[in-house]
Amino acid sequence: MKKRGRGIGVSFYGTGYGNGFPDVSKAKVVLHDEGKVGIYVGGTEVGQGAKTALLQIGAETLSISLEQILFISEDTSLMPDSGTAAASRQTYNTGNAVKKACENFKDRLIDIAKEELELNSTHGLKVEKGEIYLEFFPDKRISFKELVDKYGDGTIQGEGEFIAQTVEMDPETGQGAPYWPYTFNACGVELEVDTLTGQVEILDAVFAQDAGKAINPHLVEGQMDGGFAMALGYALFEDLKLDKGRIKSNKFSRYLIPTAMDMIDVKNIIVEDPESTAPYGAKGIGEPVMIPIAPAILNAIYDATGVRIKELPVTPEKLRKALDEANGGGGSD
Amino acid sequence: MKFDIVGKNIIRTDAYSKVTGKALYPQDIYMDNMVYGKTLRSKLPHAYIDIDTSEAEKIEGVIKIFTYKDVPNNSHGVVFKDHEVFCEKKVRRIGDPIAFVVGETEEVCKLALDKIKVDYKELEGVFDPEIAMDENSPKVHGDSNIVYHFKIRKGDIEEGFKNSYVIAENTYKTHMVEHAFLQPEAGVSLIDEEGRVTVMVATQYPHYDREEVASALNIKEEEVRIVNTNIGGAFGGREDISLQIHLALAAYTLKRPVKVVYSREESFIAHAKRHPMIMKCKTGADKDGKLLAMEAEIIGDTGAYASWAPNVLRKAGVHITGPYYIPNVVVDSYAVYTNNPFAGAMRGFGATQVPIAHEQQMDILAEKLGMDPISIRMINIFKQGSVTATGQVLTESVPVEACIKEVVKRMDLFGEEGHNEETW
Amino acid sequence: MKEIQLNVNGKDYSLNIDENMRLIDLLRDKLGLLGTKEGCGEGECGACTVIMDGETVTSCLVMAFQAHGSEILTIEGLESNGKIHPIQQAFIDVGAVQCGFCTPGMIMSAKALLDKNPNPTREEIREGISGNLCRCTGYNKIVDGVELAINYIEEGK
Repeated sequence: MKKRGRGIGVSFYGTGYGNGFPDVSKAKVVLHDEGKVGIYVGGTEVGQGAKTALLQIGAETLSISLEQILFISEDTSLMPDSGTAAASRQTYNTGNAVKKACENFKDRLIDIAKEELELNSTHGLKVEKGEIYLEFFPDKRISFKELVDKYGDGTIQGEGEFIAQTVEMDPETGQGAPYWPYTFNACGVELEVDTLTGQVEILDAVFAQDAGKAINPHLVEGQMDGGFAMALGYALFEDLKLDKGRIKSNKFSRYLIPTAMDMIDVKNIIVEDPESTAPYGAKGIGEPVMIPIAPAILNAIYDATGVRIKELPVTPEKLRKALDEANGGGGSD
Repeated sequence: MKFDIVGKNIIRTDAYSKVTGKALYPQDIYMDNMVYGKTLRSKLPHAYIDIDTSEAEKIEGVIKIFTYKDVPNNSHGVVFKDHEVFCEKKVRRIGDPIAFVVGETEEVCKLALDKIKVDYKELEGVFDPEIAMDENSPKVHGDSNIVYHFKIRKGDIEEGFKNSYVIAENTYKTHMVEHAFLQPEAGVSLIDEEGRVTVMVATQYPHYDREEVASALNIKEEEVRIVNTNIGGAFGGREDISLQIHLALAAYTLKRPVKVVYSREESFIAHAKRHPMIMKCKTGADKDGKLLAMEAEIIGDTGAYASWAPNVLRKAGVHITGPYYIPNVVVDSYAVYTNNPFAGAMRGFGATQVPIAHEQQMDILAEKLGMDPISIRMINIFKQGSVTATGQVLTESVPVEACIKEVVKRMDLFGEEGHNEETW
Repeated sequence: MKEIQLNVNGKDYSLNIDENMRLIDLLRDKLGLLGTKEGCGEGECGACTVIMDGETVTSCLVMAFQAHGSEILTIEGLESNGKIHPIQQAFIDVGAVQCGFCTPGMIMSAKALLDKNPNPTREEIREGISGNLCRCTGYNKIVDGVELAINYIEEGK
């Protein structure tokens, strides 16, 4: 017999190393030949899209095209330390560092442009599309290329450092401000349980994820789908089958992760509520996107069957056994 | 605010190189004069060891076999330096690195691994974190298996439960799982043109790797260079050191490029896992569904090494209330050593495990009160200005109510058959 | 050692190989075609998928000598007249790529699917790529990418 049910999961997630530990990201911006701008930052691209998102933050701040930017984030001998690509901290922490470095770089450009353009003040000078110009008398202008030709490759630089604000918790009471910012989400799923086999099939899902402000909505949706899939495996079948310290499922023929057939088209909704301390309001979502899915599945299984599973994963064998126990064998109402 | 580039679906900078197969991962690096490395790993979860490499060294094509004797500083670790580069006296889990064979080909290295003699004196192991907390259980490191204890004490928990109309008390368990990123660990190390030991690898945090490599080799950080290639997924599984020090040590000593590629099976035992957690949760609410108290005990099995255990169990402890205001809270969260595979960072980092408990507790309380799951959440949900269990004020950007409303709004998109209508 | 002849991406090769060499090693180590990735070594993940005589194979499970006399297509062979294949373009445009390690194999499976069934449903696409594991994307944008590629191919893009 097949039974349908729906469930919801809601979660919050605190970003960063947290708990008063210095959480520092640094970035450097350098003017290069041909007027190109190098952004040097230790924000690692693991596949999540950090490089693209940080590049967008940089281009937005510098008001230049993406093509004019060289983005260097691979080599420790070239880039400053921006902390780990973890704790969903790259967009918020390193994004802030990139933004600050770009602003500092613009200030440097404006100072130099004031001298080059023989102006009395930096007031009214704007940086846009690779040029510095006086807004109310645009004939006064100088390009990045002209500046680098005069000052030389690598001479004009800006730097930025961002340190997240957290307060260490009291060891006895846990009172403190362990993380910032927090990211929120909610997921509803509808599923069907085959009471004979214990198989769970996800039929539909609505997933709303707070992003503060989505720097790149496609990247956010990609994370949401990926987080959903990983959580689906976590809830229903992934199992290392530990036995006295030995991993028995130590390869993909035994450790099953979701395939395209296991996934469904999730209705993803990005909720925006910009965070004032974040770069353009953007908060990290890389980890949060995994969190509310598994509990929503568990609640939906209960809604469908009246059986509450308190131990992961909900394998067909486990669910069938629980259904049998609940119904004194037979697996139906 | 209007933006030119922020908020736009800019094409990924790495998309073209990845769809054309041109993106290089560490396994795609081939160098002239390159040699290969393979790691000998413990077959037992808890044992004293004695190693004899003499037979293996005689194999033609074996260049050097590295053991603990060859490492200037044999310890590393993200929070505590409890990992050994190569185990000296004791192994604490299956998969602990014992030796690193460097040879002219991978085949030669495999032959040599079989010829290294490891004399194991097996010790009693401990695999259940609750048993491991007992004073009389076998010790993985030092004289206690409890790595970390995090506490929250807020309000008056007894008063909170006394005033509760309904109480839900349950134990939830999550299991150990694997990141299963598609690209197994690999790397190439060499001495670059400026004389620096260079490790080309796929890592989440190159500057941390540089620090650990420099420390293990006892050289300056400026003499070490970490270069990230493309990275085939990570999810937390590339935070701890895996092959970076082995590679750097070999290239530094032999002055030749050294390459390592893990098989999928080796990848499974080489890196950390998600912490399994036992979560005992008691939650009380008044007649209207308002939460009054939560008491939680979390026990996280960090396996043989701490890795990020204190941070993970701290994050679990802070997040076990869920995004709900609760005036009276007691949390005790423990990280415990066992002889299981070591646990560390994985997507969500402790905050992924705890909603298995708090979200089911919410539904259980709702049912006891004859409420629906949405209403009980809406009554207690964090709003702008809410105070968390640690006393932190959520001053801005708290759109969790909006998230729930978005989901509920689209619930009518769900299929019509078989609904338990009164639930929602 | 054994001598074999095969055609890879339209080019004929005559090679001396070890009998125990796998097709993936031939492609990567002998021919330097590094777009074919090894994710599991047991034919489960599909990262090493190539097209052999019109059919997808996991090149980690095919011995090199078995490829004697066959035509192999790898990710490097999809470009024509300096233009990438419509599936590749569609993957870029919809954001079907994250870490990228599964991407070449995924694209080869998608190509084999569309060669046989130029107009698959979403379910048929899911089935067609079900032998290729991806841990990052949750597959949905990949399915979107294959759907978009159908349009691109029809439009002759």
